[in-house]
Amino acid sequence: MISDLALPLVMGILLGGLYAMIALGLSLVFGVMKLMNLAHGDFIILSSFLAFAMSSSFGFDPILSLLIIIPLFFGMGMLIQRYLLNRAFRISMEAPLIITIGISLIIQNLCQIIWSPASRALSSFYALKTFEIGPINIPLVYLLDFFAALVTMLALREFLKRTYLGRAITASSQHEKAALMVGIDTTRIYVFTFALATGIAAISGVFFGLTFSFSPSSGVNLLILAFGVVIMGGLGSMLGTFLSGVVFGLSQTLGGYFLGTTAQWLVTFVIVLIILAIRPRGIFTR
Amino acid sequence: MDKPLLKVNNIDVFHETFQALWDVSLVVNADEIVCLGGANASGKSSLLQAVSGFLRPARGNIEFDGQEISRLTPPQIVSLGLSQVPEGRQVFPDMTVLENLIMGSYNRRARTKRKEMLKVVYELFPILEEREKQVAKTLSGGEQQMLAIGRGLMASPKLLLLDEMSLGLAPIVVNEIYKVLSEIHSRGISILFVEENLKRSFQHAKRAYILKTGRVVLKGNIAELQEEEELKRAYFGIAQS
Amino acid sequence: MNIIHKLIRGWVPLAVIAAIMVTLPFMGVPRVWIPYLFVFFIYLAMTNMWNLLAGYSGLVSLCQHGFIGLAGYSLAIFSWYGLPFYLGIILGMVVVGIFALIISIPIFRLRGIYFAVGTLVVPEAMRLVFLLWRPAGVGGPLQGGGSGYTILGTTGISTIQAYWMALFVAFASILIVRVILRSKLGIGLKAVRDSERTATSSGVNILNIKIYIFIIGAVITGLAGAIFYASQQYIEPYSAFSLKWTMILILATIIGGMGTQIGPVVGTAIIIAMYFGLAKYGATSLLLQGVILIGVMLLLPRGIVGEIGRIRRVSSWLIMKK
Repeated sequence: MISDLALPLVMGILLGGLYAMIALGLSLVFGVMKLMNLAHGDFIILSSFLAFAMSSSFGFDPILSLLIIIPLFFGMGMLIQRYLLNRAFRISMEAPLIITIGISLIIQNLCQIIWSPASRALSSFYALKTFEIGPINIPLVYLLDFFAALVTMLALREFLKRTYLGRAITASSQHEKAALMVGIDTTRIYVFTFALATGIAAISGVFFGLTFSFSPSSGVNLLILAFGVVIMGGLGSMLGTFLSGVVFGLSQTLGGYFLGTTAQWLVTFVIVLIILAIRPRGIFTR
Repeated sequence: MDKPLLKVNNIDVFHETFQALWDVSLVVNADEIVCLGGANASGKSSLLQAVSGFLRPARGNIEFDGQEISRLTPPQIVSLGLSQVPEGRQVFPDMTVLENLIMGSYNRRARTKRKEMLKVVYELFPILEEREKQVAKTLSGGEQQMLAIGRGLMASPKLLLLDEMSLGLAPIVVNEIYKVLSEIHSRGISILFVEENLKRSFQHAKRAYILKTGRVVLKGNIAELQEEEELKRAYFGIAQS
Repeated sequence: MNIIHKLIRGWVPLAVIAAIMVTLPFMGVPRVWIPYLFVFFIYLAMTNMWNLLAGYSGLVSLCQHGFIGLAGYSLAIFSWYGLPFYLGIILGMVVVGIFALIISIPIFRLRGIYFAVGTLVVPEAMRLVFLLWRPAGVGGPLQGGGSGYTILGTTGISTIQAYWMALFVAFASILIVRVILRSKLGIGLKAVRDSERTATSSGVNILNIKIYIFIIGAVITGLAGAIFYASQQYIEPYSAFSLKWTMILILATIIGGMGTQIGPVVGTAIIIAMYFGLAKYGATSLLLQGVILIGVMLLLPRGIVGEIGRIRRVSSWLIMKK
């Protein structure tokens, strides 16, 4: 029985890394701008679809296609924040939220028009390989997911701690007025932050697409998952986000193991609801 | 004559529909320490906020170092050499003392002078150097105030605005902080500070402006002001004779 | 005399329109209009409720489709026990009300954005629950789970009957919004909108107000949903709990004008017109609606009705100045 569980346990932890990365973009934007980007999941799926398109049309390996997708998404994020969201902030409290809903609608339906509602998956020559560790066979993809997540999170952390720009982002998230007083142009910081978050979403999308199948409507589940990871992990804590991701990863793999694949998302949703009910501020917060 | 570093010309300032300042003018010359006094809610903070760019004057204008600044944003004004230390400390709570100070030198002009200014700040406030790695929100009120001032200094300003430094602090602590004022001034930084306590204002400033319900009711050299009967009226609202 | 004047101004036009709408099917209008109007009235009722929640009470609720699906499924379940559909609809409404009450306890501990996403999760979970649920031997020929269930006893409902039911719930929603706005509840709402802190210190119990509004919004939305499913005669989880319901409500409210009484009517009319006009373009129409949503939010933040109101106020002020 235990050795049976070993595989879901290990995969749950590896998946946790991916989920933490998925939540990272959401956490960044929410922490800095207090904005919940409801289109976050859809950004991720868009990236999956773009990688899919490049793979099927040009034979690009999905991970290599990141070289194109990341800058593309970064630019897209900049434009969205600069021309849409910054304006919305000045209009009312609900306006930015509604804008993200609009963006979500656009992305989802754009994907549906271009690629049809059917489920897709990203594949690669290594996607089917497995690694043997002891009695269990781990799909290589999961290891790649975890590794990519780790690299991304560490890179982001270093960026936030060591560069002036990164520190400015952190400062703006802690105290907007003080940031202005110190000479930080918070409006421009927001543009950069959103672009960064969208870039991270691009990475998440490719790795997600390599691991699972996806369709234009998969974004909502990812949004809820990311949201759950963010509130459980607390804002501003990379470690908290990571641990939280692992909890959700495990809940999915173990949930799937015991209850079947349809139910595994239900487990996720129930956990999110429970966290919201008891401790919306987060479980792993400082 | 001194060259005016800061010139506020006849400004009206509103908070939404409430008028906080009426036709206020003020001058700070280079190398001066000027005090802005007045009872509670007389508009002192609003004046500082207008100068630093957080409020836009509805009428009149503000010049700094010869440049028109009333339409500029706070970050732009900081880069010109005007730094504000707000009331209520307002440090970056989850950053360390050192990180807070480094943030102070964010604007391009100040970045090159970062190491230099850091030394100055540590000389003025040795306790900040001691607590370099401590997270800001765990500091005491007085230490946070010092940190806020230090951070303001890191911007390498020509003019430092200090808003209500004594708020919520024990008198002993406040005295310590005020001693630093003249030290800062001796390094060529002009100062405009807000202080309700008259005695303290007069100890540390050369000139003062007294506000009452949004208007300048008194101004001039400290020596002259101390004589003024008007001063009592401004503070205690004693009926005019 | 004055009171009578006021009443007449307020209610009479509404009553006249209601009378016209009721007799419409007999006035020789093209038969095809009726189903369109049916859909229009169903959405109007729901949009009025979303406007009440988000526009007047500051509650951005994303779980409306949860109530719609729940009401629909309740209707289905009651129909299997032989209950006539109108009882099923009413009971469905009650079920939704109770459900809303129960979830309001944890949900209202959340503020702002947490509230919005919290409400988002609920219908997603519900969809999965109903997807997995397969009671054997009931529901007629459909297998349950993903393929849904038939709702028994509804084949006899004529198009006109369905139309009248939709008309009823739409007008009910208009009346309810009006009555609430003029009642103590409405004054409390206005106070909350102006300043939550002041309202609390004046003794206004904000939480209770919000919960009442939330439940009312849920109940009427559920009612409209149940009526919709009664006429559709079957229900399946993907469309019942689809986010698209709520998206349409948001669109209609924003385009028409949040926080206005006529706004929902205008907004719903536009959205429904687009919906049917571009029906064969499916996803394109939704994409277009997303673009319109962003455009309206940025350029006409008060919606059509709101902006017209503003222009009128400004122009009358200008006239006064002369």
